[in-house]
Amino acid sequence: MATSTEDKAHVQHASPVRYLICWGLLAVLTGVTFALSNVEMGSWALTIAMLIAVAKATVVSLFFMHLWDHRGANRLVFVVSILFVLVLMALTIVDSNTRFPLSLPPH
Amino acid sequence: MATSGKDAAAASPHPSPLAHHFQSLAKQTHALRLGMWLFLATEILLFGALFVGYGVYRNLFHEGFAAASHHLDKILGTVDTYVLITSSFTMAMASHWARERKYQLATVALIVTILFGLGFLVIHSYEYYRDVMEGALPGRYFDVPEITATGASMFYTLYYLMTGLHSIHVIIGVSVLGVLAVKTYRGHYNEEYDVPLEMGGMYWHLVDLIWIFLFPLLYLI
Repeated sequence: MATSTEDKAHVQHASPVRYLICWGLLAVLTGVTFALSNVEMGSWALTIAMLIAVAKATVVSLFFMHLWDHRGANRLVFVVSILFVLVLMALTIVDSNTRFPLSLPPH
Repeated sequence: MATSGKDAAAASPHPSPLAHHFQSLAKQTHALRLGMWLFLATEILLFGALFVGYGVYRNLFHEGFAAASHHLDKILGTVDTYVLITSSFTMAMASHWARERKYQLATVALIVTILFGLGFLVIHSYEYYRDVMEGALPGRYFDVPEITATGASMFYTLYYLMTGLHSIHVIIGVSVLGVLAVKTYRGHYNEEYDVPLEMGGMYWHLVDLIWIFLFPLLYLI
């Protein structure tokens, strides 16, 4: 009975090689983001640093936290929580950027 | 019914971890995993609010944030990052070895993870000490003469709040891992049942995940 769930409960026994590759990727990306912080890139600096952070976060969540092997509901919860943070971030910044300047804290 | 739970009980000296209201160990594991992901979602929202605060004030005080950020030691921040990603790796290995019933290796890996966690806290305490000595304090206590741009004090308010909340998570994570190390050494977990170890690990990886975003935002840009 319930063979599909029984089978899937133990699929996530990944090999140590996979973990080692993940660690290597994280170490390299950390080195890259550190090196790039010494390069003057103007407004691109934030975008590039965040792209690298998202890449690292993807490695951690997919392989160390086993989202790669987990079932749909777990992925949905994780993605939705990030989506809500992004909605909060976007709407709040849009709000403060479109206010009458004098209503903002002085520079 | 509940065969996998009984098998696990037969194979290990510990009582079956299967609660009576679950049909099988696999279903119990799925329910517990989903519960853990829901908890981690609330953690992401908790930190998310602070990230939004950072976004809003960085947008308002661009120069102040840049000046204050350059004042932090990014070498130490990078060392912090390497310490945490390596601890995530040793945590994953501990989980792996426990499932193979190599309990001594798993316990050593957990102890190494704990030591990395404590190392992170030591490095961060040194950073706080340095900041406080230089007068880089939050809000109206901010007193660094060479930073004149507006908003630097707000940067330090957010810096202490975000890294402080993160460090509290590291302390909780280290405590959880301590309990898990003892239970792993005693052979409570195996390939059939390792839910507490898996979830302790997920919490630890979340701590790493949050630092991955804190590090570039606070130290690098």
